[in-house]
Amino acid sequence: MKSHEKGNANSASKSAQHPPEKPVQGSQDNSGRRKTSKYFSAEKPKDEKEKVEVPAKRKTQTDNEETIKPSPARKIHKFDDDEDDFVLPNTKKNSVAAMPRKKLKSGSGRGTGQKSMDIDESDDEDEVKHVETPSKSGGRGHGGGRGTSATPAGGRGRGGGRGGFMNFGERKDPPHKGQKEVPEGASDCLAGLTFVISGTLDSLEREEAEDLIKRHGGRVTGSVSKKTNYLLCDEDIGGRKSEKAKELGTLFLSEDGLFDLIRVSSHAKPKQGSKKSVDDADVSQSKKIMQKTEIKNCTGSSASKNVANKSLASGANLDRKKIQTAQHSALTWTEKYRPKVPNDIIGNQSLVKQLHVWLERWHEQFLDTGNKKKGKTANDSGAKKAVLLSGTPGIGKTTSAKLVSQMLGFQTIEVNASDSRGKADAKIEKGIRGSNANSIKELVSNEALSANLDWTKHPKTVLIMDEVDGMSAGDRGGIADLISSIKISKIPIICICNDRYSQKLKSLVNYCLLLSFRKPTKQQMAKRLMQVATAEGLQVNEIALEELAERVNGDMRMALNQLQYMSLSMSVIKYDDLRQRLLTSAKDEDISPFTAVDKYGFYLSLCIQISVLARLLLVLCVNMEEKVKKYVKSRRIGIFDHIVCVPLFGFNVGKLRMDERIDLSMSDPDLVPLLIQENYVNYRPSSVGKDDNGIKRMSLIARAAESIGDGDIFNVQIRKYRQWQLSQNSALSSCIIPSALLHGQRETLEQGERNFNRFGGWLGKNSTLGKNMRLLEDLHVHFLASRESNSGRGTLRIEYLTLLLKRLTEPLRVLPKDEAVREVVDFMNTYSINQDDFDTMVELSKFKGCPDPLGGIPSAVKAALTRAYKEGSKSRMVRAADFVSLPGIKKAPKRRIAAIIEPSDGGLGENNDEVAAESEEENPSDAEDLEDSTVGEKLQKELQSLNKKGVQVHLDLKDSGKLSAKKPPIGRGKGGSGATDKKNTARGSGTSAKRKR
Amino acid sequence: MLWVDKYRPKTLDQVLVHQDIAQNLKKLVTEEDCPHLLFYGPSGSGKKTLIMALLRQIFGSSAEKVKVENKTWKVDAGSRTIDLELTTLSSTNHVELSPSDAGFQDRYIVQEIIKEMAKNRPIDTKGRKGVLVNLVSGNAYLAYDAIFLVLNEVDKLSREAQHSLRRTMEKYSAYCRLILCCNSSSKVSEAIRSRCLNVRINAPTEEQIVKVLEFIGKKEGLQIPSGFTARIAEKSNRSLRRAILSFETCRVQQYPFTSNQAIPPMDWEEYIFEIASDIMKEQSPKRLYQVRQKLYELLVNCIPPEIILKRLLYELLKKLDAELKHEVCRWAAYYEHRMRLGQKAIFHIEAFVAKFMSIYKSFLIATFG
Repeated sequence: MKSHEKGNANSASKSAQHPPEKPVQGSQDNSGRRKTSKYFSAEKPKDEKEKVEVPAKRKTQTDNEETIKPSPARKIHKFDDDEDDFVLPNTKKNSVAAMPRKKLKSGSGRGTGQKSMDIDESDDEDEVKHVETPSKSGGRGHGGGRGTSATPAGGRGRGGGRGGFMNFGERKDPPHKGQKEVPEGASDCLAGLTFVISGTLDSLEREEAEDLIKRHGGRVTGSVSKKTNYLLCDEDIGGRKSEKAKELGTLFLSEDGLFDLIRVSSHAKPKQGSKKSVDDADVSQSKKIMQKTEIKNCTGSSASKNVANKSLASGANLDRKKIQTAQHSALTWTEKYRPKVPNDIIGNQSLVKQLHVWLERWHEQFLDTGNKKKGKTANDSGAKKAVLLSGTPGIGKTTSAKLVSQMLGFQTIEVNASDSRGKADAKIEKGIRGSNANSIKELVSNEALSANLDWTKHPKTVLIMDEVDGMSAGDRGGIADLISSIKISKIPIICICNDRYSQKLKSLVNYCLLLSFRKPTKQQMAKRLMQVATAEGLQVNEIALEELAERVNGDMRMALNQLQYMSLSMSVIKYDDLRQRLLTSAKDEDISPFTAVDKYGFYLSLCIQISVLARLLLVLCVNMEEKVKKYVKSRRIGIFDHIVCVPLFGFNVGKLRMDERIDLSMSDPDLVPLLIQENYVNYRPSSVGKDDNGIKRMSLIARAAESIGDGDIFNVQIRKYRQWQLSQNSALSSCIIPSALLHGQRETLEQGERNFNRFGGWLGKNSTLGKNMRLLEDLHVHFLASRESNSGRGTLRIEYLTLLLKRLTEPLRVLPKDEAVREVVDFMNTYSINQDDFDTMVELSKFKGCPDPLGGIPSAVKAALTRAYKEGSKSRMVRAADFVSLPGIKKAPKRRIAAIIEPSDGGLGENNDEVAAESEEENPSDAEDLEDSTVGEKLQKELQSLNKKGVQVHLDLKDSGKLSAKKPPIGRGKGGSGATDKKNTARGSGTSAKRKR
Repeated sequence: MLWVDKYRPKTLDQVLVHQDIAQNLKKLVTEEDCPHLLFYGPSGSGKKTLIMALLRQIFGSSAEKVKVENKTWKVDAGSRTIDLELTTLSSTNHVELSPSDAGFQDRYIVQEIIKEMAKNRPIDTKGRKGVLVNLVSGNAYLAYDAIFLVLNEVDKLSREAQHSLRRTMEKYSAYCRLILCCNSSSKVSEAIRSRCLNVRINAPTEEQIVKVLEFIGKKEGLQIPSGFTARIAEKSNRSLRRAILSFETCRVQQYPFTSNQAIPPMDWEEYIFEIASDIMKEQSPKRLYQVRQKLYELLVNCIPPEIILKRLLYELLKKLDAELKHEVCRWAAYYEHRMRLGQKAIFHIEAFVAKFMSIYKSFLIATFG
């Protein structure tokens, strides 16, 4: 279809791609530009087609000239498919000359590719709008119009994609956000004008305004300069920009003024004369004049015939294009347009020059000075034998290295990550050429030889080590080897990496001359891209290319790839197409959870009913598990979308789509809910409007909190019962609903807090809780082991702890030092509380804002206590099981060795046990660690075997409590005793245990 | 040693409160069969004490030779193995454990570990059998041959775990008796309750508490001003343990007692009190955020979330207008239930606080404008 509707080729608005003759199509049309709209399955086929479409033409209806642009052969196949759909409409269309606008819309949908989708309703709306400004219809002038109504929404969605995070919250919302109709105008109506935006606009977000301007060919810069034509601001806030503007006499323009500018252009357009001239110019530019005339001949024929005719008739004219296409397939643009001479390299010219100089002088510096001196020169700090190029991907590092070498007549040998670069095996090095690494060695060390033999015959060689920061696991010792190679090298080595500060490269940088490539500016890139585009016969305006350059973040390679990709489907690329394309691809890049959260705060503006609705929808989803799953997998528009979008459409005036929200929350389904939960109280919901006393806000918060709780419950179901089909529900209730309720401006709650989203506090608190629980459990075990009490862990914390702590600290405050210490140590012994437990108790009793439980105790007393306890530990019996670290083994054993408590009537016969107890009690960490590991292992085995038999090491506790005070048990005094000692005692304990049974 | 432990009755004959129950239990175990037992009642009423005394009644002093064991069990759960760390307190004849410590993996403890224990008859009992028969009445023989499993906090077990427990109780009842202990029998599934002899342990009355406190005071030789023990009993919320602990706390803090001496609250209760007054003073997002921080403090200090919520409600109710009490209680119950369903307690407590703020704020404005 496209092909025959040849456009007047108004500058580049692909929106006009469809011939005006297809009014009927309207229902099917997607006024694709709207971001929010959804697609119906019936329309899907179109999507596919669209992608394949080749350069679309546009036609101006008023002119009645229909030019057909020949399409590459590939495209023609497509037409066959299309025909069925469109024949009918086309014919009708011809007869009905008056309905151009619809077509426009459909065209726009097409151009956008799969992203553009809309519902019927949206179409209707659009139609209405178009009627209001019918004159512009002819497809051209439409550029701006694509999705006019949607503009705000779209802009918002997108704007947020980049940059929203930081400045969000600093700027106020526009007072009449979304309330004004954004005009559409000729796509070039602002061409050549430069704008600066300042302050808050009346109805547009700043990003939206930027989009609007760029779409109409204007340029937006950050600060006011002489070149600035207009300063766009609604209220003069007297900032730096406006001062400067006044100084320079720049015109001030309000938002309405901007709209007028655009509107004027759209009114002007319909006049045939002007329009035509523009058209002609455009066409000539694109070298399509011939085609045009040919196609004119075809005008009369019916559309379906047109297609056939055109394809035939234009065949000849297509030659050139075809050739190009053939080339496309043969060479990717990145290869094809790789710089051929160093001067072609974009940006970093000085670095290239430096590299050039370095390489040029390499030989005289390191070789020609003679062998004797070589060592010295290599050590010169100024002269490095290797060079390290670093910089982000796609900015021409490899290319520069190659070009420079080539230019100087070096033969390049490139080794990159695809080659194994492990450390050369010392043995192999001696002769057998095995791995690549060895051949590098070979190369590096043999150059002198070859140089001596046939210096004249062989060109000089340079070794390019690409992607050195990728030398890792597989390439063991790679870096070290590279360094040694550099030391002995007789040829220059160029290393290339992305991240110069990588840990791995730390050692390497000392041996290399460092050259850091910077990203080229967007102007530089745009210039080069323009050259490429011209060479490929592609019509692109500069603004669009700059946008592209900006979006790819300096990566020339990616920019070219994108451009090539787009050239497959269109010959005229406009700002909007680019943005659309890049946005969709950008979405798959990592969205950090932070960005995600921010997007919520910023963009979600659903009516409150959404939460009710969403629940209802969830019920639906559950029944559609299969489909939903598929949806999640493909991340395409699936059935889920339809369900959601239809009911939502009424409320959701052009904001983020449901699936996009889900994508956002799914970007990390565990973390995003935590971030939401952490930050939701900070948002001032904009849906509330005037809120006296904050009642409404509070109730929204309560609802959000409840919904977050829902999310938690879902999460339990998912994790515990593996109900993964609930993950959508979880995302909805834990993220989407709260954010929908509370979307708005973020505000700070504490003084000095930065107005950024906090990281979820739960993670940290939860891990602290885990730690404290473990400590408490240790205390609890000791407590139980003392056999004085058998309370539960919870009771211990809730009820005992206060008193325990009092018993432990109060005497230290009140009594004289020695007495206090004795009393406390006694008490600790009774309950086999050790010092760690003491700390645990103190830790657990600390509350922020409450006095420190240890407050008021002089530090001298504390020290005395520690001393006394350590002192006592020599004579103390083990009363508690502990993680006994076994000699020679660093890790704590899997099982804790248990202590056994014998009732006091056990009496004196149990000395053995006491000994054993002793051995385990003694600070296990220091002396024992040093012990011979074999002994340790034996001991461990023994203990394990005991455990297996269900026999526990017995430790007498009850007695020990009493004994410790009076008579020191036999086995003690062993403080740092040797390995054998310990072994014996441990064994003793084991046997005694057995005996008892 | 703490008084709570020092004066804990060791035998059924020594108990001061619940003497009737103690006598019944004694009769029960000296007769032939001892069924599974379920002790329930509020905390601090003496369940554990009775259980220990009961065991001692059956096994004699060997029941007191307990060892603590904290070991990691490897449980094979289909596709993966799970490591479970569990603390048990065991003598030759009984094992005591708190399966709910394993959190949501308690099911495995019940399914694997408890079953394992229940399956294994106590071995190597022959040598001592004679001794024991002498010690206890001859009739205790049957009971002796079984192992007693004491499970704490059964009400905190998940539903799955309780279901698994049911089967174990039937299948291995020949070798194994379960003694279950919990606060609220309503959270124990009916199936389990019907398999046990339910023993309700009431909270001691204040008079009983006073009696015990006086008894301790006498033993310790303390001068107690009149009315002092009564005040402690009153503050103790009818928990005997609580009463004894705060009695001793008072003793540590100040002795000799004065009749108007303050009875110190628990640290965490004080903190919750603070939170409650924060909430009453201001209802705003900012305050909510601060409250969240404080709640985190409590949670991190190992205060169980249910208790926080309960206490918070209690404090709030004290200050609340009568007409709101009903509604607030309802919401507290609602969120407590959800907390059990969920995993991240803070979310639900916060939701309760937010709800309360929302309700209270609109109430205030409706009332005072």
